[in-house]
Amino acid sequence: MKILIDGIEIEAQPGETILEATRRTGIHIPTLCYHEAFGGQGSCRFCMVEVTKNGSSRVVASCTYPVNDGIEVKTSTPQIDKIRRNIAMLLYKRAPNSLFMQTLYKEYLCTENNLVEDPYEKCILCRLCVNACAAMGASAISTVMRGTDKRVATPYDDASAACIGCAACAEVCPTGCIEVQEDNNIRRIWNRDFTMVACEECGKNFATREQLAYIADRSKQEADADELRLCTNCRRKVLARKLETFNG
Amino acid sequence: MGKKSKRKQVLVCCGTGCIANGGLDVYQAFKNNPGGLFELASSDDIKATGCHGLCSSGPFVRILPDDITYCQVKAGDVEEIIEKSIKGNELIKRLLYRDPQSKKRVQNLEKVAFNSMQLKKALRNVGLINPESLQDYLDRQGYQALRKALKMKPEAVVQEIIDAGLRGRGGGGFPTGLKWKACQATTSTPKYIVCNGDEGDPGAFMDESIMEGDPHNILEGMLICAYTVGAAKGFIYVRDEYAGSVAALTKAISDAREHGFMGDNILGSGLNFDIEIVRGGGAFVCGEETALLASIEGNVGEPWDKYVFPTEKGLWGQPTVINNVETWSNVPLILLEGAKKFASTGTAGSKGTKVFSLVGKVVNTGLVEVPMGTSLRDIIFTIGGGVPGKRKFKAVQTGGPSGGCIPESLLDLKVDFDSLGQAGSMMGSGGMIVMDDRTCMVEVARYYLQFLAGESCGKCVPCREGIRSMLEILERICNGGGCLQDLDLLEDIGETVKTAALCALGRTAPNPVLSTLKYFRDEYLEHIVNHRCPAGVCKELSEFYIDAELCNGCGLCAKNCPVDAVQGEKKQPHVIDNSKCIKCGECINDCQFLAVKVR
Amino acid sequence: METDALITNQSEELDAIINKYPGEKRYIMAIMHDISRHFNYLPRQALEATAQYTGVPFSQVYSMATFYKAFSLVPRGRVHFKVCDGTTCHIKGSQIIIDEICSRLNIKPGETTADLQFSLETVNCIGACAIAPALLANGKVHPHLNAAGIRQVIAEYGGPEYGKKE
Repeated sequence: MKILIDGIEIEAQPGETILEATRRTGIHIPTLCYHEAFGGQGSCRFCMVEVTKNGSSRVVASCTYPVNDGIEVKTSTPQIDKIRRNIAMLLYKRAPNSLFMQTLYKEYLCTENNLVEDPYEKCILCRLCVNACAAMGASAISTVMRGTDKRVATPYDDASAACIGCAACAEVCPTGCIEVQEDNNIRRIWNRDFTMVACEECGKNFATREQLAYIADRSKQEADADELRLCTNCRRKVLARKLETFNG
Repeated sequence: MGKKSKRKQVLVCCGTGCIANGGLDVYQAFKNNPGGLFELASSDDIKATGCHGLCSSGPFVRILPDDITYCQVKAGDVEEIIEKSIKGNELIKRLLYRDPQSKKRVQNLEKVAFNSMQLKKALRNVGLINPESLQDYLDRQGYQALRKALKMKPEAVVQEIIDAGLRGRGGGGFPTGLKWKACQATTSTPKYIVCNGDEGDPGAFMDESIMEGDPHNILEGMLICAYTVGAAKGFIYVRDEYAGSVAALTKAISDAREHGFMGDNILGSGLNFDIEIVRGGGAFVCGEETALLASIEGNVGEPWDKYVFPTEKGLWGQPTVINNVETWSNVPLILLEGAKKFASTGTAGSKGTKVFSLVGKVVNTGLVEVPMGTSLRDIIFTIGGGVPGKRKFKAVQTGGPSGGCIPESLLDLKVDFDSLGQAGSMMGSGGMIVMDDRTCMVEVARYYLQFLAGESCGKCVPCREGIRSMLEILERICNGGGCLQDLDLLEDIGETVKTAALCALGRTAPNPVLSTLKYFRDEYLEHIVNHRCPAGVCKELSEFYIDAELCNGCGLCAKNCPVDAVQGEKKQPHVIDNSKCIKCGECINDCQFLAVKVR
Repeated sequence: METDALITNQSEELDAIINKYPGEKRYIMAIMHDISRHFNYLPRQALEATAQYTGVPFSQVYSMATFYKAFSLVPRGRVHFKVCDGTTCHIKGSQIIIDEICSRLNIKPGETTADLQFSLETVNCIGACAIAPALLANGKVHPHLNAAGIRQVIAEYGGPEYGKKE
């Protein structure tokens, strides 16, 4: 089907969202809670666009709005720019301690106001960490409470038995608010200590013991499988060597 | 049958309001069969019914066929009622309702202003039947609509609902028939029917009264829909606080199963349908369709974007029709009286009636059902009897926490889905809260935002952070720390929340702020510029004093003051010691002479 | 912890509650309601058992338990006051009721007295608007309250009597 985005006609596939269709064109729609791996959540509302269908217009979240034939999309209008500016302002007021929000606040030309700022907060509650944790299969963290008290935590804020210390949550976090400390082969994350395992090739720490045990259990691999012994880099090298031998 | 009509019936109101005032004790007193009562009215004829509506004067005892209604009855009055009015034909004057306008005692409550302007459709059985009795429901054409529908083509049933012009009573106002039609058109199975009984609006209890007082009516509505769209499974999501509703619905479902109205091959038609009750967890946001569905699925009650309607992808991704309690209770009636008759009541865009819970600073509080298009003035002043005491009407808040406050100048507004929206408020599920000059509109806005801050699911940024920020500003204004720029900021954030929030809770959350800013801006300015709360509610900004000219020294305020801050000799003007005063306002509320004032 | 021992002693009861329902995600809320009714709160072990029984991650069960207001993660008092702070009750003075309970029992909303006799919670609307302001004490509605009325109610449930602050 054909849809019009900022005046440009593009071919869209049924079932995909406006955001997905737009990304292929190179037109940029800013997002905060979107990640290709998890799909649209519709929670940050930063990706709002204006959609006109049968002559009537509305503002929708492009990450969840499924394309349909003949729609016309505008990714920037005065109304939408104002929404984005206010969202940047509100999130900065929530998490002024993150460089990410400080940058965004300036980029969107937010005007000063006297709303209270929490000087220590970095989290913008995009929940990418929760999604990443679930995708890893651990589901050790979740959102707790609701409304303005909502936050991300492990149950009872205790060290979680389900956590495997993979730090996928910290990796995907845009504001760097999930603390991962590593020293003496011990990784500390979400109030729990994990022993790191070194890569048999290069000697660098590459995973926690619990993470490897989890992978072994899930993929039913032998203990000597490359995945459980080597870091990603070295695995790639080993694979390359094997291919060379094979080809040569 | 002739004999039956001579038999007396005693209806004791056991709605939530009346139970709190001792309604169950009254009912039990009748059930104890004092003075050989059962010779005149069999045990079955003494019914514990749902809400009679005029809750402020309960508990009620209504005696049929004479149609005598006694108000504020105590268990101790029961023997006298039996002797005089059931065995004899004597009226007990002191228990009759005293009409606030004419000051006369009235025997038949149906004839007082509170009731005469009402038109009971959704509430047609509430208060007249014993909700636990299937037979009572059957006696009032119960399950006749289902029988009729089962003989029609499903498409014809849907068309009847479309022609009736029924719109969703839960607040959205979406045409019910179109919803059903969309679901009917989908081919994916299974399909689900859901009843939204998660009435979370603070200030509304109409759904509770229907669930408690006429549960079969809801089941019948759902059954008819199940037949038209081809669903085999239904859910009723009820607030856990509504213990009476859960009990009544549970009994009704089990009775319906037993008598072939539910289960397999219903009434021999081949229709299979059953209903499960889901107890809610106490989350206002679950009144939002998709959040409610998420909750039934066993998730936190967070809504999702409804760009694809639940009729296509709802519960577990399957086609789902979800309607509110009051909407369901209108369905059997439409089948019984026909779409044309149903649509003859109401306005061009909103057909039928609407139940409002009329509460707050109004003489007659309770449930009222009026034709769409009735003016606010009629509802509040004719039916409600106006503001009690010598206080002055200030505003009426409609549509629940995310509705708006409507000022006196708009009282002639004909109430329907569209007119309320244009006035910056909304129908919501039908809460109607009357406010007088003792209500601070800034504090009201603050109150609603505080409510919504705790009830927002917290998923989307505009709602979560926007409400937090607006609440922060309002708290500042109420505490005397506001500045004029705050008002612009409130409007700026409010506009963004209104357009960008994910669900209707968020999108309507700024209404209390924006509507009070629109109609009561002067009160905001009083708080900010003059550091004064004219209503005497915001404690930091009010100081009470007694006008010596008006005070006759009755001493009522001094007696009721919880901190002994009022002093004075009997029959001499009293004074308030402001060092002791906690500004609870009890003295203002007590004073019949309006002598206690706010500086 | 004392409360943990309480649960260990009642593990059979806990199993009985949970086993009443099929082990599916959609019954979590119903299970939690029943647990809450039995123990007067949601003990941690009970939540863990629910997660295991339904095959849902513990973090998600915990997420639900903290999302829905009907549930408490700390023990509630033998007498549980739910003060209605719905709109009608609010404009008719529920704050006075709340303040009075707080000062007489020395607890804040969401808290329980040290002797586990009373706990206080504010709720949105109990559907008793016509008889506002109202409070639910262990499910019983007390209508038309004011400062004096709530003192009586507190005394009625074994709290300090008026004039005799503890």
